[in-house]
Amino acid sequence: MRALNAMSSTIGAGLVAALSGVAAFAQDAPSGLNEFGPEPKGWFLQDAATPVMEELIVVHNLVQIIITAIVLFVFLLMAYILIRFRESKNPVPSKTSHNTLIEIVWTVVPVILLVIIAIPSMNLLYKQDRLPETEMTVKVVGNTWNWLYSYPEYENVEEWVSNPLDETQAREVGQPYLLATDAPLVVPVGTKVKVLVTSVNNMHSWAVPSFGVKMDAVPGIINETWFEVFEEGTYYGQCSEICGVRHYYMPIEVKAVSKAEFARFIAAGGEPEDKFAQLNDGGGAVVSAND
Amino acid sequence: MAGAVEHDYHILPPSPWPFFAGIAALVWGLGMVVFFTGLVPRSGDGAMMEFFFARGLDTIQGRDGSGGGWIILLIGTLMAAYVMYGWWRDVAAESARGEHTPVIDLGLRYGMIMFIMQEAMFFVGWFWMFFELGLFHKFRAGWNPDILENPESYASWPPPSIETVDPWHLPLMNTLILLLSGTTVTWGHHALVHGDRKGAKWGIGLTVALGVLFLAVMAYEYTHLFHYRLEDGMNGTFWLSTNVYGSAFFMATGFHGLHVLIGAIFLFAMWARLMNGGMSPEKHFGLEAAAWYWHFVDVVWLFLFAFIYVAFV
Amino acid sequence: MVAIPGADIPVVHTPADDKPGFWARWFYSTNHKDIGILYLIFGIFSGLLGGFLSFMMRMELATPGIDVFSSEHTYLVFVTMHGLIMIFFMVMPALIGGFGNYFLPIMIGAPDMAFPRMNNLSFWLLPVALICLLISFFVPGAAEGNGFGGAWVMYPPLSTTGSPGPAFDFIIIGLLAAGFSSIFGAINFITTILNMRAPGMTMHKMPLFAWAMLVTAFLLLLALPVLAAALFMLLTDRIEGGTAFFDPARGGDPQMFQHLFWFFGHPEVYIMILPAFGIVSHIVSTFSKKPIFGYLGMAYAMVAIGVVGFVVWAHHMYTVGMDVNVKAYFVLATLVIAVPTGVKVFSWLATMWGGSIRFTVPMLWAIGFIILFVVGGVTGVMLANAGVTTYLHDTYYVVAHFHYVLSMGAVFGIFAGWYYWYGKMFGHHYNGFLARLHFWLFFIGVNVIFFPQHFLGLNSMPRRYIDYPVEFEFWNMVSSWGAWITLASVAVFFVVLIEAFLMRNKRRVGNNYWGEGATTLEWTISSPPPYHQFSVLPRIDAGDSDPHEEVDEAYARREGDSA
Ligand code: HEA
Ligand code: HEA
Ligand code: CUA
Ligand SMILES: [Cu+2]
Repeated sequence: MRALNAMSSTIGAGLVAALSGVAAFAQDAPSGLNEFGPEPKGWFLQDAATPVMEELIVVHNLVQIIITAIVLFVFLLMAYILIRFRESKNPVPSKTSHNTLIEIVWTVVPVILLVIIAIPSMNLLYKQDRLPETEMTVKVVGNTWNWLYSYPEYENVEEWVSNPLDETQAREVGQPYLLATDAPLVVPVGTKVKVLVTSVNNMHSWAVPSFGVKMDAVPGIINETWFEVFEEGTYYGQCSEICGVRHYYMPIEVKAVSKAEFARFIAAGGEPEDKFAQLNDGGGAVVSAND
Repeated sequence: MAGAVEHDYHILPPSPWPFFAGIAALVWGLGMVVFFTGLVPRSGDGAMMEFFFARGLDTIQGRDGSGGGWIILLIGTLMAAYVMYGWWRDVAAESARGEHTPVIDLGLRYGMIMFIMQEAMFFVGWFWMFFELGLFHKFRAGWNPDILENPESYASWPPPSIETVDPWHLPLMNTLILLLSGTTVTWGHHALVHGDRKGAKWGIGLTVALGVLFLAVMAYEYTHLFHYRLEDGMNGTFWLSTNVYGSAFFMATGFHGLHVLIGAIFLFAMWARLMNGGMSPEKHFGLEAAAWYWHFVDVVWLFLFAFIYVAFV
Repeated sequence: MVAIPGADIPVVHTPADDKPGFWARWFYSTNHKDIGILYLIFGIFSGLLGGFLSFMMRMELATPGIDVFSSEHTYLVFVTMHGLIMIFFMVMPALIGGFGNYFLPIMIGAPDMAFPRMNNLSFWLLPVALICLLISFFVPGAAEGNGFGGAWVMYPPLSTTGSPGPAFDFIIIGLLAAGFSSIFGAINFITTILNMRAPGMTMHKMPLFAWAMLVTAFLLLLALPVLAAALFMLLTDRIEGGTAFFDPARGGDPQMFQHLFWFFGHPEVYIMILPAFGIVSHIVSTFSKKPIFGYLGMAYAMVAIGVVGFVVWAHHMYTVGMDVNVKAYFVLATLVIAVPTGVKVFSWLATMWGGSIRFTVPMLWAIGFIILFVVGGVTGVMLANAGVTTYLHDTYYVVAHFHYVLSMGAVFGIFAGWYYWYGKMFGHHYNGFLARLHFWLFFIGVNVIFFPQHFLGLNSMPRRYIDYPVEFEFWNMVSSWGAWITLASVAVFFVVLIEAFLMRNKRRVGNNYWGEGATTLEWTISSPPPYHQFSVLPRIDAGDSDPHEEVDEAYARREGDSA
């Protein structure tokens, strides 16, 4: 695997020169505020923003180490065999076709490896899926093609629609196109948030990678999941179940704010921070004014 | 060719039937699409294109509108029927010429067993659907009150708006009909084995008749359910579009009915061969295969009866 | 290329060597070898079609923005059709219909398939199915345009209320036709294997390719009817005033379709890889000049893969909101499959160990297969972990996984078989240099396409996106470059074909042009085989007698008789 990796990056490196644009994109990210989302040229999991994601990365790394070792083992063994037993080196083939011991070994060793994988994997699965005592609830409804958010516990906050920003709008507010929305979901940090996910028409999937959350929005079914964000910031995700032509164009933006900020936000009737209002005011200012 | 082939397998000459079966399938498939969805929108002026390629179901359902999908479907079906006739006639002729050696006969047996296995898996699909809907209805009722038309009605199964079919009337009768037909087909088979051709003709003939009777009873039951709907709106009883129970009921029993029809045609063809003096006490695998198929259809019905009619009421 | 042993042996003509006219031979065929060739031609055609669709997709994805396709809908139609065509019309016809038909009867010493007419029906249903799919491109699908854009998994409600036009009905009909084709094929293969093995060829002496076909056929037989039922449900759900299976408003359950689909869909992926396993086993053994290591383990590993393959389907549904205990079960069941697959991989290596390895063209493809299949397989193990897959599901990581097992696993298996048996099928050889060039370009190309897709997936790029945030640009660009290399290799493949055809008279091959190591029955008969082989059945006696001699003797006996 490493060999292939090296191979593709060599080829990749050759291409960099041709890709004049690449460097420019890296500068797009607004500085200051924490932003979690895909990284330019990123080749690894996004950073963890929740305890579940932290554990997910640990399990992933464990499995990755094991499977890389397996692949390297097979590669090296193969290379050795091909060199050692090539026709010119070994003109007379052996005729062995059985060896009970080795057959038992290559059955039992994988079983052991799989047990090593399964145990932490199960822990992660149950942690991710079993809802702890959650402290608040948000309701997410998929719609073709935008997301509806509401807080069932705060009735004074009306359900609102989170639409994607188009390319010019995104550039004006300095946020990434195809990730930014006009009205993000707002949640407090350090709080266990329960998420109810459903849909009113096609299926969608509400996914925020850095939370380790991905839950299908299925009409007729309410799915539950949860997260607890560590720190303030903006977290991006994308619809992850094919839902029609705008499947690529219904991003998810979650803003985690301090508990005090969140209380203020709710008290104010949840007036979602309307980036358009600012745009329309001719402000065009970057949204990350708070803190 | 003379005599040098030293094995008992059958090397067939080229045959036109498979190729034309493909063409028939294409026509039939086109008919299905037109019948269900239509290829061109209906404008009402009844032009040629529209007549043939607009949606045909409307006419069946008594709504206005043209739609000749059923014509294409009919052409496809006729083509398929002709191909099947020609194909099986060839097989019967080969058998009569004694080309079906014991090993080929065994192969046909394997083939038929495999065919029945795949039919069984097809019904596994339908029962899976039925059990999933029937066993987990409570969850679905709780899941999404926003979207379900009247959630509380799904808390029980079948939904209370459904007036189910009483299993101990027509369905029981149909069960008895099929069980009886299972015995007549065995009678016919054994009669043939013992050289009693007359008994064989009677046994198989009766089986076909019982199969037709079964289908008639089923058709009566269906129209009964259907008519209620037309006359009393949705509150009499149900149709396949009423809700998911109706869909499950009609599609599962309907596909079974289709298989009864296929089995009956199969048996009828064997009966016709018997009447034409075909088949012998030793060589009559066609009949045996038809009997296997018939028993299979019978068993599926017992499951349908037990679960769809009795257990979920 | 290599010296051609046996080139001097004259072609053995069997008495049934009658050649029907062109139309009867190719349209009304009842000859398993001719039907096999038809399947292979069909597979190559579909491969080009599916490849064309994927190159268009890669061109679109090379840079952010929508610049190749005129509408987002068309892109999704391409993705959908690419998946369906590659799976149902390229891999399955080539591996099962093509090589299965051509070589399975020969390998078990049978003169033909059990049901030669039905065999031809299996073939002719495929063009019918493909025509339906092609029509679907050009008729209205959704409000946004022609064709069906709901992905090859066809989940409702996108495939019911979301795609009201006839485009999707055509796909349903096409898939039903392809499904019936495969079911008939499966019945044929099973009967042939159980009933027509040459005298003395017990199940435990059967070549591994025959075992692979047996397991594959059972998977087809048991999985496809369930898909058929699900497709019928979709069909009637789509009608106005039709059924309500997947309509939540009338009590239906959209997720039920996913269960039914994947109950078929997971066995389907093994249907696509098991025949390749069989082919690779023979190639590895031939060019190591050694018998297969652990024959019984190899055979029963495939049986185990087939059986377990039926109880892991919901690992495609980790994010749909299943109960956590159910997920836990599916994680464990899925992990189990790595064990028998490992047995296969290690047995291949053990077969090569101590061998006398020749790097012929088919051997290159087989070695490539083993290496790349392991890479794809272990990422499958990663995906089996539901916790991690919450992150990875529906990202390009999955796309990378399944192209490593399909576009490298299954396709490498196809090319391996193609180059292994080319001479056997056509009686002449290809140019070794060009074939090697094809291999290396393809090997490099597909790795450059799909290895970076792991990174895209880890960085969370979702599947089935026509446009993506700029962050994903770099690896997408690399991946698209890989597509160009692959395109070049496909061009070289055609150069190989044309060159070989032009030079056909200069490179005639004999019965066993691979020489020592090639021990299965196809190497005992001429290249190409007589129109009907084994008019005298080969006799595989107990002990280690050489089938070559057996057959030679049998033919000698017969020729003596008729002389
Ligand atoms: C030929 C086709 C093929 C094959 C063989 C496989 C093989 C496997 N697949 Fe794959 N898979 C697909 C085709 C295939 N898959 C496709 C098409 C999809 C996507 C469908 C879609 O959504 O469109 C998919 C998706 C898919 C998913 C769902 C991902 C998602 O959508 O969220 C999962 C999850 O469990 C999975 C797992 C596996 C596993 C565990 C194997 C195992 O069988 C692999 C076993 C092999 C090995 C492990 C390597 C060799 C073994 C050793 C060297 C021994 C030692 C190893 C260990 C101890 C680990 N696959
Ligand atoms: C066997 C299956 C198969 C094969 C071979 C391929 C091959 C390729 N696929 Fe495939 N792909 C799928 C199955 C396959 N794919 C599936 C199931 C999906 C999911 C669809 C969905 O989401 O619904 C998918 C999705 C998919 C995507 C994701 C699209 C998206 O989600 O938006 C992409 C993107 O890069 C891609 C690219 C490619 C490329 C560049 C190749 C190249 O490797 C192509 C190169 C060309 C060939 C390999 C053909 C060569 C073969 C022959 C010429 C035949 C030879 C025959 C004989 C010798 C007999 N594919
Ligand atoms: Cu919404 Cu995809
Ligand atoms: Cu799977």
